[in-house]
Amino acid sequence: MANTDSVTPERIEEWFDHNGFVCTGQVATSLYLAEVLSKPVLLEGPPGVGKTEIAKLWARFHGAELIRLQCYEGLDESRALYEWSYGKQMLYAQLLREKVGELLSGAGDLGSAMTMLRGQADGFFSEDFLLARPLLRAITSPEPVVLLVDEVDRSDEEFEAFLLEVLSDYQVSIPEVGTLRAARTPRVILTSNDTRDLSDALRRRCFFLYIDYPSLEDELRIVEKRVPGASASLAERIVRFAQSVRRAELRKAPGIAEVVDWALALVAVGAESLERGTLERTLGALLKNREDLETVLAELSRHR
Amino acid sequence: MIPALSRFVEALRREGIDASPAETVDATRAVEHVGPENRERFRDALRLSLVKRREGLAAFARVFDAFFAPPARGRRDRKGERSTTGAGMRSTGRALEATVRPGSAPGARARRAAARPVLPASIRSDIERSPRVPTRRIGRLREAALAPDGAPSEVSRSGAAAERPEYRDLTRPLPSSEERALAATIPGLVDKLRLRVSRRARRARRGRIWARRAFRDNLSRGGVPFVLPRRAAKLRRSRVVLLVDVSFSTARATGFFLWMASAFLALGRRTRVIAFVDRPVDITSEVDAWIRGRREPGVTRSAVSTRVPGAGIRPAGIGFDALLLSIPHLNLSAPSDYGRTFHALLRSRMRPAGRDTVLVVLGDGRTNRFEPLAWSLDEITRRCRCVVWLVPEPRGRWGTGDSALPEYLPFVDTVVEARDLSGLARGLDTLLRRA
Repeated sequence: MANTDSVTPERIEEWFDHNGFVCTGQVATSLYLAEVLSKPVLLEGPPGVGKTEIAKLWARFHGAELIRLQCYEGLDESRALYEWSYGKQMLYAQLLREKVGELLSGAGDLGSAMTMLRGQADGFFSEDFLLARPLLRAITSPEPVVLLVDEVDRSDEEFEAFLLEVLSDYQVSIPEVGTLRAARTPRVILTSNDTRDLSDALRRRCFFLYIDYPSLEDELRIVEKRVPGASASLAERIVRFAQSVRRAELRKAPGIAEVVDWALALVAVGAESLERGTLERTLGALLKNREDLETVLAELSRHR
Repeated sequence: MIPALSRFVEALRREGIDASPAETVDATRAVEHVGPENRERFRDALRLSLVKRREGLAAFARVFDAFFAPPARGRRDRKGERSTTGAGMRSTGRALEATVRPGSAPGARARRAAARPVLPASIRSDIERSPRVPTRRIGRLREAALAPDGAPSEVSRSGAAAERPEYRDLTRPLPSSEERALAATIPGLVDKLRLRVSRRARRARRGRIWARRAFRDNLSRGGVPFVLPRRAAKLRRSRVVLLVDVSFSTARATGFFLWMASAFLALGRRTRVIAFVDRPVDITSEVDAWIRGRREPGVTRSAVSTRVPGAGIRPAGIGFDALLLSIPHLNLSAPSDYGRTFHALLRSRMRPAGRDTVLVVLGDGRTNRFEPLAWSLDEITRRCRCVVWLVPEPRGRWGTGDSALPEYLPFVDTVVEARDLSGLARGLDTLLRRA
């Protein structure tokens, strides 16, 4: 676990590098500033460039638990923050029915029975019956945690506004229980695939980092690090090919993960170079739909 | 440090990066932690704090380089990289120190840095100069407009109906005086449409008879339906994306349509307008300003040629042609390319996405023989609730020549022939029913 006082951008860069992640200076600086200024980081970029991986490694760097909130359309407070455990409440109510009957037997009329019941019933709306969802878990955790709000662009605007409220004060008001404040401010990383424009208000509260596909040199370093079995010449061919494929008009441009998978596949089949037969057999690891495969293979045959 | 950073933030704002005071404070705290010695880290700290959109990154780099001059000399180490500990970087570090901490670094250097204008003259002039419309583009448009203008307008409808302005074929050549005459009928069409919409809204509020509930509620009356409960549809607030072709052949129809649509849809976060010729450009705020008669900084009326389609379409004093010419990234002289547009839209943040999104495409689908990339539209439509396509061309011409409409239409829910104002109104009505 890293000591927070000793965190520096250089140390982050070195640690990430040591753990198999090619970390640019920008990533290290953003994480460092988020740490020292206790602000969330918004990582934006196309899918497959390592945004989620950064959050996972950041949690490992601090020896903290990673709490992940995967966003999707229709995500609401009950899924993200808390909900009451109705099943548990019903079970307790059934088990305690006789006891409640005994307690109320002393009541002379309906009014006094209601008063007695009101005094007891709040027990069913206490923290014991609260199901904490990722946001509440992150806020109330006494241990250090990293909260990953993944693909926030998939959620609705209403949820984004709600998230804004939670992230600004790190506190949550539950009408029946009261306000729960963060025991310690969680480290927050938000990721976005840039499919929807996020509100200015949310952007303003975060450090913003756009992560694009890596340069040829960076991607080569990643492949060499992640696929040690690939020869230098094969790694370079793989990366050059992937970079040129990204420039083509495809449904889904390959991310870094796909390039690494493809390199692993090529090493597994014992490929030394990118021949057509090898390409046809392994290209499925790089391109994930039929039209893209057909487009690339057609392009390859045209150049032959 | 704060005055120098404030000047830097002001320079960013002039480049269109809206950094707030809170972000300026964040930037100040960030550079305090990072320090000015390492130029890359210093730049990253400012960028992370002040630029919150991808579009601002290039402008930030430009202003940063102009404001904080890169090291004049930098020793290169064995690997060929610029040394961060060499004399060059150290001198830059001092220069930055002087710039960002004028109070703490007295001396001639600091005074010179403080007295230096925020940006060099070249950048300043770029910022101050209003966007110019390339004369070549105007020339081409003028040439294109001149030829058909004098030609007699052809009316395909017969009888008295053909004479009515709402049935005038918008694809035919029309001088701006006739455009103005057609524009005069827009308020009437909007009123008619509004009446239809409000009737529909009343019916929707009342709701339809709820058969299941009617049986249940009338059981105690022996099944005789004394009570007829109704169920109103859940009110939906849809997002609307208007993807409009503004190439020469369809610009006029687009202008009229946007005018009519703005009477029903509030342009903003929930209704976006994306124009295209060969690539998509978000013009929501510009269209909103045009409708309201607010002159956007870029609108240079003196540069407007009266021959460009849409000169007579003036909802509030500014012609549609002026609006189009004021948008810098819109290449009006490019050949239409629907495939590239759909693909670029799919890859961009402007992409319509969400179960509550209605996409409206207005265009003739003529791709100039470029690849139609219909799968891109397929991908886009999968993410929307429905797609309505308005075609400003007679149905008989669909799919002829370079039209790729037959390839696109399988992915479209509703197609409307919108060659005239009544067709456009019909298309708008369809949209309002769906939205």
